[in-house]
Amino acid sequence: MRWGAAVVLAALVAFPFVVPDATYEHTVMLLAFLVAIQAISWNIISGFAGYISLGHSVFLGIGAYTAGILSVEWDVNPLVLAPLSGVVAVVVALFVGSVVLRAKGPAFVIITIAMLLSFQVLAVNLPAVTNGSDGITLELPTWGRDVGNIPFYFMFLGLMVLAFGFSAWIRRTKFGTGLVAIREDEGKAAAIGIPTTLYKSLAYAASAFFVGVAGAVYAYFLTFLNPLGAFNILSSVTIVLAALVGGKGTLWGPVVGAFVVSFAGEAATVYGGGSQSRLLVFGLALVVIVLFLPDGLLPAVRRLFAKRHEVEHTDHTAARRPVTIVTRAPAEPRTDPLLEVRNARKAFGGLTAVDGVSLTVPTGSVTALIGPNGSGKTTLFNLVTGTGGAHTGEIRFDGERIDGLAPWARAHRGIGRTFQLTRLFKGMTVLENVVAPLAAFSPAVLASGAVTGHEADRARELLDLVGLGRFGAEPAGSLSYGQQKLVELAQVMVLQPRLVLLDEPAGGVHPDLVDRITGIVRAGAEQGITFLVVEHDIPLVLDLCDPVFVLDRGKVIASGPPGAIREDPAVLGAYLGEVSG
Amino acid sequence: MTQAVQTVALGVLIGGVYALMAAGLTLVFGIMGIVNVAQGAFLVLVAMLTWKAWQVTGIDPILLALATTPLMFGVGWVLYRLVVVRVRASSPAMSMLLTFGIALTIEGLLNVTAGNYFRSATPPYFAQSFTIGSVVLPKAQVYGFLAALLVLGLLYLVLNRTWTGRAIRATAQNPSGAALVGISASTVAALSFAIGAATAGTGGSILAVLYPFFPASHYDWIAKLLGIIVLGGMGSLRGAWVGALILGLAETITATYGSPRWSTVVFYAVILLVLIVRPHGLFGTRLREDAVA
Repeated sequence: MRWGAAVVLAALVAFPFVVPDATYEHTVMLLAFLVAIQAISWNIISGFAGYISLGHSVFLGIGAYTAGILSVEWDVNPLVLAPLSGVVAVVVALFVGSVVLRAKGPAFVIITIAMLLSFQVLAVNLPAVTNGSDGITLELPTWGRDVGNIPFYFMFLGLMVLAFGFSAWIRRTKFGTGLVAIREDEGKAAAIGIPTTLYKSLAYAASAFFVGVAGAVYAYFLTFLNPLGAFNILSSVTIVLAALVGGKGTLWGPVVGAFVVSFAGEAATVYGGGSQSRLLVFGLALVVIVLFLPDGLLPAVRRLFAKRHEVEHTDHTAARRPVTIVTRAPAEPRTDPLLEVRNARKAFGGLTAVDGVSLTVPTGSVTALIGPNGSGKTTLFNLVTGTGGAHTGEIRFDGERIDGLAPWARAHRGIGRTFQLTRLFKGMTVLENVVAPLAAFSPAVLASGAVTGHEADRARELLDLVGLGRFGAEPAGSLSYGQQKLVELAQVMVLQPRLVLLDEPAGGVHPDLVDRITGIVRAGAEQGITFLVVEHDIPLVLDLCDPVFVLDRGKVIASGPPGAIREDPAVLGAYLGEVSG
Repeated sequence: MTQAVQTVALGVLIGGVYALMAAGLTLVFGIMGIVNVAQGAFLVLVAMLTWKAWQVTGIDPILLALATTPLMFGVGWVLYRLVVVRVRASSPAMSMLLTFGIALTIEGLLNVTAGNYFRSATPPYFAQSFTIGSVVLPKAQVYGFLAALLVLGLLYLVLNRTWTGRAIRATAQNPSGAALVGISASTVAALSFAIGAATAGTGGSILAVLYPFFPASHYDWIAKLLGIIVLGGMGSLRGAWVGALILGLAETITATYGSPRWSTVVFYAVILLVLIVRPHGLFGTRLREDAVA
C-alpha cells in the first residue's frame, strides 16, 4: 500500500509539469483533492469514533467565510488567513461538540445538519458582516493567467497529504484507539477510564481543522462566496459518500473514495444530463452502498485477497512467568471501609430497582452481593461505577464522595468492573483490548503511542496471569465466553484497581475456568485489591467471600459472614419464595 | 395584549401541525431506533402530489389527506419491507445514512420530474381569516391545525386503545419480552414505519396549503422535525408535542417581536440551551444498556 501510494503521489506531483495546459483536468483533480481532504477529516469523528456528521462541509464554509471576510477587512491575501480559518473551525467544533457530544446516540447527527442550515441562515441574515445573499468578492489570485489553477492544484494536494498524515498519526496514538473503543462500545470505554466526552469533542475538533484551512484556499480559488454555495448540503453528501465508498474507519478508504466519487460525479454531470441528475445519482448510490457494500471498497477488496486466516499463537513458547499484580493499594493494612454506599435509591419509572441501600465494603475484603434476579445488584454496580444515571444517596470511595463523578473519573480513582455479559471490543485483538484501559488521564496520554513496549509487556504478563497469553493476536470476538471473561478481568487489572466489581464472574463459564477466575481473585486479594462480587453460585460465594450482603427487591435484607447468611431465614425466604418472617 | 394573544394562538396552531409531523418521526425512533431522515422528503413528496391532484381535480388540498395518508401508509410499509428491513441489524448510523439516501433520491426525482421552483396550493379560503374579537386567525392555518389534531387523536387512540397499539408500545419498551408473548417484531416494525410515513401523508397535504415548497425544502423540514424531537427527548411522543409547541411559539414570537428571519436560529439556540441543562432533551431517558438475564 505504502509503495503504491508513493508512486501515485509522485505521479500527482508530476502531472501539472507533464501536461501544463490541461486546465480542465487540473481543476477536476484539485476538486477531488478537496473532497479527499474533507473525507479524511470526516473519518476522524465519523469513521474512528463512529459519530456520523451529515453536515461536515459547514467547516468548509466557516473557513471560507473567515478568510473571505477578514481578507477584505484587513486587506491581506486570503491564503495568509488559512491557518486562522482552521482555528475558527476548531473553536466552533469544540463549542458545539462539548454541548452535543455529552449524550450518546443520534442527537449529534441531527445537530450537524442543523448547524449547516443555521450557518447558512446566519450568513444570509448578517449582511453587515457577510454581505448577506449578495456574497463576498475576493481579490483575484496574484499569479498570472498562464499558470491557471496549478498553484491551487499543489495547495490542495499538499493539504491532502498533511490531512492524511494527521489522521494516520491520530490512529496510531492512544487517542485513536480510544476513539475506536468509543465506536465499538461507548459505555465500556468510559468504564475502563476513557474520558469519552472529551475524546469525542477533540475528535470533532480535529476533524474540523483541515476542512477549515481548505475552506480559506477554496474561497480564494472561487474568488466569490455566497451563503448557499458555502454552506452546501450536497458537498456534505459528497464527503459522506466518498468515505463510505472507500471504507469508513479505514485509513486509505476516504482517499480512494474521494477520487471514485469525484470522477463518477464529474462523469455523471458531463455525460448524464447535467448537475440536475447528480443528486439523484448520489442518493441512489448512498442507498446502494449502505445496503450492499456497507464496509466500502477497500475492506471488500482486502477480503477478496486475504488468505485464509491462520491462527497465530504468539507467546506460544513463553513459559508461564511468575507475575505480580501491580496495585496502588496502601502498604499498611487499614480498617476503614474502601467503599461506602449510603441510602442509595434509583427508580426506573415506577420500579424502584435500588431502594435505600446502605452497605460498606471493608478494605482488602472480598465482599459478596447476592440476591434473586431483579433484586437490584447490577443497578447498584452501575451506581457505583457511574453508568447508572441520576440517583439519590451517597457513594464514598476511600472517604471521597464520588457519586457526582463521570465513569472514567471513577476508573482513574481505582474502581474497575467486569460486566454480566462480557463487553470486549470485539473488533480489536485480545492484546489491544488489554492495553485499551487508561489508569490515569493527562493531555500527554492523547499523543502517546497506542501500544508502547512497556504496556505490551505488561499486557502480556496479565494475559499470562489469566492463562491466555497465547491468544494475544486473536480477535477478541473469537474467544469463548469464559475466555472473554478472563480477558475482561485482565483488562480491569491494567487499571491498577483498588476495588474490582465482578458481575457474575462464574455465570455461564466452564468449571475449569471458574477455578482460574477464583484463583485470580484470591491472588488479587492477597495483593491488597478489594473485590465486590455479584454471583448466583452460592456455594462459590460462601467459600470465597466475607462479608456477604443479600439484596431483595432493592433492599438489603441480610448481611454478615457467610456462615450466618447460610442460616438466615430471610435469605432462604427470598430465594425459595417462602414468606419471610 | 391583542398582539400577544394573536401571537400565542398562531404559535399553537403552527405547533399542532409540527406535532403531527414530528410524532411519526419520534414513534419510529422509539420503536426501531431508526432516525428516518427521509421524513422531510416524504412531506415534500406528498405536498407535490397534493398540489398536482388539487390542480387537476380541484378537490380541497387538506381533504386530499384522506387519500394521501393511506397512500403513504402503503409506501412506508413497502419501503420498510423492501429496503429499511435490511439495515435493522446494522448500526443506527447506517440506517440514518440509508434514509438520508432515500431523501436525496426523492429530492432528485422531484427535481427531474417536477422542476426546481416554488409551489403552493391555494384553495379559495387561502387568503381568508376567522376573526374572534380582535384576534385574526388564517382559515388555512385553523383547518390545518384541526386536521393535524384529528390524526394525532386517532394515533393516540390506536396506540392506547387497541391491541395493535399495545403491541407497538410493548415492542418499544422491551422487544424480546414482546416477542415472547407472541408479538411479531417485524410486523410491528413495518407497521410503525408505515404509521410514521402516514403522518407525513396528512402533514404533507397540510404543508401544501400552509407553506410554499420546492424539492430542496425537505432539508428545512427535516431540520425542524429533528430539532423538535431532540429538544423533546428522542423517542418520546410527549416530548415531540411539547417540542413542536415550543418551536411554533418560538417562530411566531420571534416573528412578531423580532424578525421572521431569525426564528430558525432562535429555535436552535433554544435547543442548545436545553441540551446544556438536559443532555438527553426534555423528556428523554437514559436506559440501562447492559442486558438483564
